[in-house]
Amino acid sequence: MLLLSLLAVTLLAAGAAFAARRRSVMEGINLGASVLTLTLAVVLAASVLRSGSVTAVGGLLYADALSALVVLLVSFVYVACSVYAIGYFRDDEKNGVFDQESGASVIVGKLRKYYSLTPLFVCSMLLVALANNLGIMWVALEGTTLASVFLVTFYGRPTSLEAAWKYAIIGGVGLSMGLFGTILTYYSASLVMGTETLGGLNWSVLVTKAAQFDKTTMRLAFIFILMGYGTKAGIAPMHTWKPDVYSEAPVPVAAMLAAALLNCALYGLLRFFILTSRCLGPEFASQLLMVFGLLSMGVAVPFVLVQRSFRRLLAYSSIDHGGIMVLGLAFGGPLGALGMLLHMTFHSITKPLLFFCAGNTQQHLKTDQFRRAKGGLIHAMPITGALFLVTTLAVTGSPPFSLFQSEFTILRAGFDGGHYVPVVLFIAFLVTIFAGFLVHIARLVLGPDPGIPHAETCAWKKYPLVGLGVVIVVLGFWLPAPLYALVQSAARVVREVQ
Amino acid sequence: MYFYQDTQFGERMITLMAALVLVLQIAMVGQRWLVTNIRVFAAQSFLLACIANTIAYYNHAPHIYIAAALTFLVKVVFVPILMERLVAKIDIRQEIEPLINIPISILIAGGLTLVGYVVAESFYHPKEGISPATLGHNTLAVAISLFLIGFFMMINRRKALTQVLALLSLENGLFLAAISLTYGMPLIVELGVFFDLLVATMVLGILVYRIRETFDSMDVSQLRRLRG
Repeated sequence: MLLLSLLAVTLLAAGAAFAARRRSVMEGINLGASVLTLTLAVVLAASVLRSGSVTAVGGLLYADALSALVVLLVSFVYVACSVYAIGYFRDDEKNGVFDQESGASVIVGKLRKYYSLTPLFVCSMLLVALANNLGIMWVALEGTTLASVFLVTFYGRPTSLEAAWKYAIIGGVGLSMGLFGTILTYYSASLVMGTETLGGLNWSVLVTKAAQFDKTTMRLAFIFILMGYGTKAGIAPMHTWKPDVYSEAPVPVAAMLAAALLNCALYGLLRFFILTSRCLGPEFASQLLMVFGLLSMGVAVPFVLVQRSFRRLLAYSSIDHGGIMVLGLAFGGPLGALGMLLHMTFHSITKPLLFFCAGNTQQHLKTDQFRRAKGGLIHAMPITGALFLVTTLAVTGSPPFSLFQSEFTILRAGFDGGHYVPVVLFIAFLVTIFAGFLVHIARLVLGPDPGIPHAETCAWKKYPLVGLGVVIVVLGFWLPAPLYALVQSAARVVREVQ
Repeated sequence: MYFYQDTQFGERMITLMAALVLVLQIAMVGQRWLVTNIRVFAAQSFLLACIANTIAYYNHAPHIYIAAALTFLVKVVFVPILMERLVAKIDIRQEIEPLINIPISILIAGGLTLVGYVVAESFYHPKEGISPATLGHNTLAVAISLFLIGFFMMINRRKALTQVLALLSLENGLFLAAISLTYGMPLIVELGVFFDLLVATMVLGILVYRIRETFDSMDVSQLRRLRG
């Protein structure tokens, strides 16, 4: 019931927003739906922690601690983005970003697109985490692409069309590999279980029998899944759509792609990783993940260092973080999965703020190029500027912020596993990215007053940022016990298997 | 007993149709005209639906009939109509203009077929009970070849609409792989995949249309403003 209502709320919100006529109504629907989703997600997390995994609708939906964690993170990001979106789009309208000939009806039409597609997008992300059947999970992941393509083309610029095209085609090809991997998994399982069973791809069944699967097929299946879901997660070398999409999509959409969708794609990968390591032992999958994880971090380094646009900078940071999480999983051991999931949690909480700060900056300066922004942002926008700097420190993993703790945990896992070369590379990449990132943002935020008009933006764009900032700082010092318990039991889902 | 109730006969029919599917895929690589390409795709999907029906008949697997019917509705009727209307609406030049010239493309497609056969060989477990080998591991080889040739077509084509077609034929390969390996995925998954396919075609169609409107061309090699 709980699982179904999570999906129903977002679906209904999409329908209601589509039917709505006034902007304030659409904003209200979206905000209400997001808060309700978060509440339900918290209830789900509590019930999973208390009494183990939940199934619903005849075994179609399933939630264990891992799914509950992903659902919680997705709905958290959804709430943050819904609040921010209100101010963001109002500002856009004030700045005349929408088409020149626009009457009120055009603007409402555009907003309706955002407010009805966003709940759909969230709904399919939730379904990724809640589907028991790995085939349905694939369908939902493809659904996330389809629901978000037109969010990327929101501004209708030629460049945003280009980004959307790359997103749809690269995502489509990637996911077709994912589907092939799913078919192969089904095949390798069917040799054990037969093909007649309706629940032939159900996670709750597969996981108990994974050890007997056909080994050759499973090996091939995991390679395809890694390519496919890796494309969706933006793991190098399949990351090329990410910078384009993150810089062209409206900021709330980009934040959701970076902080929520990344988790869903990695969640899919994680499920197959568990099956594969049960079937073949952890080495095979771990070695592959290690290569791709290091590659993602390595690819991000030069692009962060010479980046010219702060929106694209964030995309490379997201590629880097995807690599870190994959690497954490690859290191394995008692700490690897825990480190990865902690990193996922902290990343999802921290990343939206970074996007919002970049959004405020872009809207105020009317550019996302470092060259044209002359620095000294903090004089014009004290709150956004200060938070931008703080979040940069947090995202690049400097203490006392929480991402430092998760990166440190992953590092420990690497040392424990004896992966010295990857660990050394990991540290080198982290430090370089930290330096490059900080130099860019410090140049943007600090410096003498260049005489930009002083404008701290409207309340809708200011207070969510301050709120998130407080959460991030507090999280650096105090991790709530229930959240940590949830992460721990999610890590147990991954680890018990190995 | 009628001749068509013989499993041997069914196997031969499936192999024949699978071979035709492969021929059509290679024909698509060599085809110059966009509209013909769409029709070749429709013919290929029709054969696929026939293969699915045959497999359903010989294995008494009723849910494959549904998959076959959906294939017919979506890929033989709906998608080609949608695409042809799109072609008429955006009024583009009909030639496809691949990057690599046609004879070499066909040679490459032949090479990929060979790779498909080599890969399919590794799945051939003649001893196990429900092995798909009873339906000819030819079908799987064809499926993998379709998949690979589909990839090659995606790279080889510049026009947005032809890339969509390549993606769809790649998906045909996946469908064939699914029915030849496991007699199709569970029905609910199959339904979901078709739904996604339908929506994806519409979404990509709208994107193609808007790219054409904005850039006055469908050549995706013009989409290179975003870099770094």
